Amino acid sequence: MTSIETPTENPTRPAIARVQGLKVHFASKKGPVHAVDGVDFDIADGEMLGLVGETGCGKSVTGRAFLGLIPQPPARIAGGRILFRPRRREDTSEDTPEFRPCPTCKGADIVCATCNGSGYDTLDLLAVKPRTMRAIRGRRIAMIFQDPGKALNPILTIGDQLAEVFLQHASADLLADIGGTGDMGGLAAGAVGRAARQESGRLDGILSRVPPVRGHLRRLRAALEDRIAAALAETQISNPRRVIRSYPHELSGGMRQRVMIAQALACDPDLIIADEPTTALDVTIQAKIMELIKMLQEKRKTSVLYISHDLSLVRRTCDRVVVMYAGRVAEVGGVREVFAAPRHPYTRGLLDAIPRSGETRGVLASIPGTVPELVSPPPGCRFADRCVHVMPECTRVNPTLQPLTPDQSVSCFLAHPPAPGAAHKEPELQET
Amino acid sequence: MNVKVDTDGTVAHQDDAGDVLLSVRNLRKYFPIKDGVLQNVVGHVKAVDGVSFDIRRGETVGLVGESGCGKSTLSGCVSGLTDPTGGSVHFNTRGRGSAHGPLDEGDRIDRMDRATFAKYRRNVQMVFQDNFASLNPRQLVVDIVGRPLRVHGIASGTALQEKVVELLEQVGLGRQHLYRYPHQFSGGQRQRISIARALALDPELIVLDEPTSALDVSVQAQILNLLNDLQAERHLAYLFITHDLSVVRHMADRTITMYLGKVVEEGPTQDLFETPEHPYTKVLLAAKPDLDDDPDVPIQTLAGSIPDPARPPSGCRFHTRCPVATSTCGWEIDDIVRELETREDLFDKLVGVDRKSDLEATLTFSDSAAAHAVWEAIRSDSVPETMRDAIETLDVRDGALMVRFAKPSAIELREVGTGHRAACILAGE
Ligand SMILES: Nc1ncnc2c1ncn2[C@@H]1O[C@H](COP(=O)(O)OP(=O)(O)OP(=O)(O)O)[C@@H](O)[C@H]1O
Ligand SMILES: Nc1ncnc2c1ncn2[C@@H]1O[C@H](COP(=O)(O)OP(=O)(O)O)[C@@H](O)[C@H]1O
Ligand code: SF4
Ligand code: SF4
Ligand SMILES: [Mg+2]
Ligand SMILES: [Mg+2]
Repeated sequence: MTSIETPTENPTRPAIARVQGLKVHFASKKGPVHAVDGVDFDIADGEMLGLVGETGCGKSVTGRAFLGLIPQPPARIAGGRILFRPRRREDTSEDTPEFRPCPTCKGADIVCATCNGSGYDTLDLLAVKPRTMRAIRGRRIAMIFQDPGKALNPILTIGDQLAEVFLQHASADLLADIGGTGDMGGLAAGAVGRAARQESGRLDGILSRVPPVRGHLRRLRAALEDRIAAALAETQISNPRRVIRSYPHELSGGMRQRVMIAQALACDPDLIIADEPTTALDVTIQAKIMELIKMLQEKRKTSVLYISHDLSLVRRTCDRVVVMYAGRVAEVGGVREVFAAPRHPYTRGLLDAIPRSGETRGVLASIPGTVPELVSPPPGCRFADRCVHVMPECTRVNPTLQPLTPDQSVSCFLAHPPAPGAAHKEPELQET
Repeated sequence: MNVKVDTDGTVAHQDDAGDVLLSVRNLRKYFPIKDGVLQNVVGHVKAVDGVSFDIRRGETVGLVGESGCGKSTLSGCVSGLTDPTGGSVHFNTRGRGSAHGPLDEGDRIDRMDRATFAKYRRNVQMVFQDNFASLNPRQLVVDIVGRPLRVHGIASGTALQEKVVELLEQVGLGRQHLYRYPHQFSGGQRQRISIARALALDPELIVLDEPTSALDVSVQAQILNLLNDLQAERHLAYLFITHDLSVVRHMADRTITMYLGKVVEEGPTQDLFETPEHPYTKVLLAAKPDLDDDPDVPIQTLAGSIPDPARPPSGCRFHTRCPVATSTCGWEIDDIVRELETREDLFDKLVGVDRKSDLEATLTFSDSAAAHAVWEAIRSDSVPETMRDAIETLDVRDGALMVRFAKPSAIELREVGTGHRAACILAGE
């Protein structure tokens, strides 16, 4: 990943991840559903990026693609790459051979321009081996889901579920907490991590499978509880020590979501994919949970991809926003720019449809029609049959995402008239 | 002109009483909590606990509040799907053209004769959030929308089909949709089908329980516009339940805020949004960011979680979370117990609570050190200052802690503006 001349980058910060031409198609009776059909955007290192758009436009599929969580079949990755550059960290024990050093500095230069000092080359998340994906999940990229009830295991206490994450990914730190086990430290840590990854379950069961730590069980458990309590406390949950011993059903939705956040942050991931993290929560705490995620993100300089329906929350919390429509990116830009001066007719329609405090009653502007079927979509702009500005070329040529200002890109012929006689050309993938 | 049905003395709006379509007085709905093998009733969830309000012809009343505060239970009672535990629901079944007149005993739904009750049920229809659950997946649209017409013997055969087409056209669908199943529609279209079904019997009141919460904003805008058009055409009244305050603001003439089974504020929507009087309404308004507000002003939020509705706080139910609570807002023994629950070490040592009343009790601990620690804690900053002010006596002897709280003020809904009422000590000051 050397050239970063794509129209979707954050101009001020290097990218930690780059989605290039992502296409995910789902098999259906009527034919392949082009759920995600050529999506490009960057996530800058340390930024919070919003991903918005109507139900079914492909937000979750895009988010899940980062972690290989798309069921294949029925899905098929029909094209594209998701390039991810891990951050530099001290404990590299979980890196697999696919984690390659930066080709320019060989990992040595902390100010290297190619790798932004991370020392790593990029990985294509759509192409890595399962073993590498397991090393990435949780440790490098974590996910927070919409429904905190379903994502937690109902038969394990909160303490046991969080213990699993620490044992899987931070066993070396844990052994260090209790004074290490000499030369055996690294070995034991690896064994604990493997045991925890193989089987979920109660802490004692996992640890008893690793002979070297058996004798330290009590101290290890205490160290683990300290770490879990600290992780929970960071989410401002009240009474973390009691929460540790609770089962998920004993907690409110807001508390469960805090537990999910603690779990996602436990190993200090480089990137968090938060898919509608507050949709299942009460209005009185939605904003609070988002501010919590925002606060922790800023404190740790983590990057977050925040998938949401709630434009007012995106406006408040994100640095930039990607607007998707029917499997494609309509507009990308700084929240200030996009919310104040949306340039894509769809973005404008979306913002106008929201009731605002300034105006009471009356007719809301609504976008006529419905989202198009994504089975064998016709060429041209996906928004053409609902767009009030539609022009003849809109139904022939596919508008591509082009920069308008350094802070805003849009894929619409109003902003970028097509070159005369231009035929649609797939954007080329850049090789590293 | 008076609504004569006020048996409990709570007085709602008296102006315009002749146009009142629905009147709810001191309505209560308790759900038993059962436990053990014998399924003994060990308590009650007071889902709705003494609610009174009116809905007039052609108006939209918005109902807001956190989840679990009793909104859906209340709407079930209003539409006659749930039998209330106490209180009354009156409904004017005399029809749109009827002379204005006060509601009387004959309009009380649980005392109506069969024919009148059937008329009431036809006149109140519901639309739910989860239209997947409320539309039978194995029925065609023509059967779903036509069912009420058939059941009530209003139309059959081709006449029925034409009536269904007419209804579908009113909600922006058409003849081509008659022979399709619910799953063949998008969420917004399914909500249109639910609305068409609700319109079939030409009701005067539609209860909308989170009708757009599952929809995207652009589809929501279409549905809200549709509801407004239908209201103008048919002079419909809506009870509009939602957690989205910007939607209430856009839709409702009057808004009711509920907290833990009680109405805490009610008033013309504009007044309620511009000059909210109850601290809970203020928090609800402040917690929901708007597209027009300043993103750099931090969002205000509410501390703590909603208390157990089986054991609601006394006095003002909001006092456990209220940012401006005073010493007479209802501090009680349970507040000490709630406080102890957050300190496991001390709570484990609590062996008994011997109550003389909600305000006076002796707490026994397994050792005197624990009792002293609690005594210390209750006098410290770790409990709200106003709660400390409300404590009249606090004595510790060995393992026993004697506590007595001062009697709280009576806190009831009172007028703070024209048609604007709030239940807060500080309201109107
Ligand atoms: N397992 C699956 N099988 C078939 N189609 C699927 C599957 N998962 C997703 N899709 C399709 O992919 C498209 C995009 O789905 P996705 O869940 O990403 O939408 P979304 O934008 O996240 O919507 P929402 O806001 O409702 O979560 C939709 O057309 C959906 O029907
Ligand atoms: N059938 C039931 N049995 C027991 N409790 C119930 C039942 N229905 C509702 N409740 C309780 O009543 C309260 C109010 O519920 P509901 O009216 O559904 O709330 P809302 O619609 O505001 O979310 C909640 O505490 C809920 O758990
Ligand atoms: S490309 Fe054409 S159809 Fe598409 S949004 Fe722009 S003007 Fe409308
Ligand atoms: S009466 Fe008013 S001030 Fe007192 S607790 Fe209730 S809402 Fe707060
Ligand atoms: Mg989704
Ligand atoms: Mg409800």
